[in-house]
Amino acid sequence: MADSAPNNGRLAPLRTPQALATPNRRAISADPSSNRLSASARRNRPNTPHARAASRAIDQRRTALFTPGRVGRRRSIARERERETPRDLLRNLSRVLAPTSTALSSSSSSPGPNSNNDSTLQTLMEEGDDDDDFPIERPRFSLPLDRDDDDDSDLKPPRSSILEDDNYTAQSIELPRRAWSEMPPGRLDRGSFGSVRMSDYIGPEIADDDNDVGIDSGFFPPPALDDDTGGLAMDESAIFERMDEEARRQTMAGMDDFGPIEIPEMENESTFMMAPADSPTRDQTVTEGLEAQDEDPPQVEDYDDDGNEPFDIPGLQDEDDVDDDNNQELLETTIVSQAADLPAHRARRKKAGKKISRHGIEYPSLPQGVVKRLATTLAKTAGVGKAKISADTLDSLMQATDWFFEQLGDDLSAYAQHAGRKTIDESDMVMLMRRQRQTSTSTTPFALAQRHLPRELLQELRMAVPPKKIYRKRQSRQAEVEVEEEVT
Amino acid sequence: MAPGQKMYPRATVKKIVKAHSKCNVSKNADVMMFLDYVLFMQTLVKEAAIDAKQSGERGISARSVKKATADTLAKFKG
Repeated sequence: MADSAPNNGRLAPLRTPQALATPNRRAISADPSSNRLSASARRNRPNTPHARAASRAIDQRRTALFTPGRVGRRRSIARERERETPRDLLRNLSRVLAPTSTALSSSSSSPGPNSNNDSTLQTLMEEGDDDDDFPIERPRFSLPLDRDDDDDSDLKPPRSSILEDDNYTAQSIELPRRAWSEMPPGRLDRGSFGSVRMSDYIGPEIADDDNDVGIDSGFFPPPALDDDTGGLAMDESAIFERMDEEARRQTMAGMDDFGPIEIPEMENESTFMMAPADSPTRDQTVTEGLEAQDEDPPQVEDYDDDGNEPFDIPGLQDEDDVDDDNNQELLETTIVSQAADLPAHRARRKKAGKKISRHGIEYPSLPQGVVKRLATTLAKTAGVGKAKISADTLDSLMQATDWFFEQLGDDLSAYAQHAGRKTIDESDMVMLMRRQRQTSTSTTPFALAQRHLPRELLQELRMAVPPKKIYRKRQSRQAEVEVEEEVT
Repeated sequence: MAPGQKMYPRATVKKIVKAHSKCNVSKNADVMMFLDYVLFMQTLVKEAAIDAKQSGERGISARSVKKATADTLAKFKG
C-alpha cells in the first residue's frame, strides 16, 4: 500500500494530459458549433512534433490565403521554413564556434564568395599570387550554366516533327487515316468552281485587275476577238478540262456565284466585248493626237497637202485639241460606263441565288444576312479585334456554307439510306455529330444546343429527339452500375 | 444570338439539305442541322481568326477564311 501510493502519485501526472484532453473531446461532442468557429479552436492539440508541424503549416497556409497582404505573408512563411532547415542549424553552430576556429583558405579552383567576405590575410596573399602567376584570366572549371539564360534566343524550342499544322485535334491526327476521297483537296475540287484561290487557277481576280486598269489588261476577249482560234480556245479547253475533272458534280456552272467558267460567254455578250474593241483604236488616236501636238509642223504640212485651208493652222490645232478632248472624254465615259457596268454585273451575278444540286434539284443558299450575323457574333466571341465582316469575306463564308451543306446532305443521305430510310431523321444528325467529334459522352447534343441556339429552337429539340433520350438513359444506367459497383 | 431575332430560315435549310441528299427531312431535324452549321461556322471563324492573326491582319480577311475552309470542312466530314 505504501508502494501503491507513490505509484499513484507517479501515475497521476501521466494521466493528466488525458484528463486535459477529455474536456476538449467532450466539448466537441457537446456543442460542435462553438468549436467550428475557428480552425485553431477546432483542432485537437497535436501530440507528436510532426503533427504539430503539420498543423502549423496548415494554419500558416490558411492565414496566408485569407490575409490580404499575401506576398509578405508568404515571404515570412518561407523565412520561417528556412529557419528550420538543418543547414541553418549548422550555420548557427558555425556562428557559435567561429571565434575559436581559424578560417581555411580554399585550395579549390574558385574561391567562393564566403572566403572573399572573410577577407583574411591568407586569401589576400593568395589572390596576389594568382595575379602574378596567371596574367590570363583563370579558366572556369564549371559549366557556364548561368550564361544560358542570356543565350536563350539562340536555342530553338523543340518542335514536334509530326504535327506542324495549326490544329492539334484528334481530327488532324486522324486525317492521314482517312480515305483519299475525303481529303481536303478532293473535297475542294468537287465543290469548287475555281473560285477558291488556293489553286493556281486564275479566276475572277483578273476581273478585279481589269476593273482597276479599265481597258488594257488583255485577259478578256481581246485575244478572242483578234484570233478566235488562239487564246480563247486555249482558255476554253483548260476550263473544260477542269469541268471534266469534277465530273461527279454536275451543278450548273453558270449558276454559281463567281465561277470563272461563265466569263467567256457572259463577257462576250455584254460589256467586255465592247471595251477591247474600242480601246485600241481610241488609244491610237490619243497617241496620234499627242504626237500631233508634239510635232505640229509636219502634221500641218500634211494637212496642207490634203488641201485644207493653209491659214487655219491654229484652228486646226484647236480642232485637234478638241478632237483629243473629245476622244479623252469618250474614253473616260467608256471607262466610267464599264466601271459602272461591272459592279452591277457582279451584283446580278451574286444575286442569282438558285443553284442545282447533283440530283438536279434547285436549291437556294442561306441568306447572306444570316451568315453575316452569325459570323459577326462568332468573330466577336473568337476575339477578333475588328469583328466586321467585309464583302469578300462574306463571299468566301457563303461559299464555305454552300460546301458545308452539300457535304452535310451527302453524309446524311448516306446514313439514312444505310438505315433503309428515305427520310433524314434526328438520329442521323446525332450520328453525324458524333462522328464529327462534336458530341461525345461528356457533351450531349442538347448541351451544345443550349449553348448555341436560342430558346425557341431548344424547345423544339427537347420535344423532338427520342434517340438522344435513349442515349442518355444508357449513360445514366452505366453511371448507376458504376455507383453500385463502388458501393459494393 | 440576341433573343427575339429570327434565327434562320428553317424552310431554306430544309430545302438545301433536301436538294443535296434527295431525301426527305424529318420535322425537327433541321434544328440539329443548323446547330451543326453553327458549330461549323464557329470552328471556321476561329481558324480564320487564328490564321489572320498569324499573318498580321486585323479582322478576318477572305483569304484566311478560304485557307481555313478546307481544314474545317475536312473536320466536319462525317
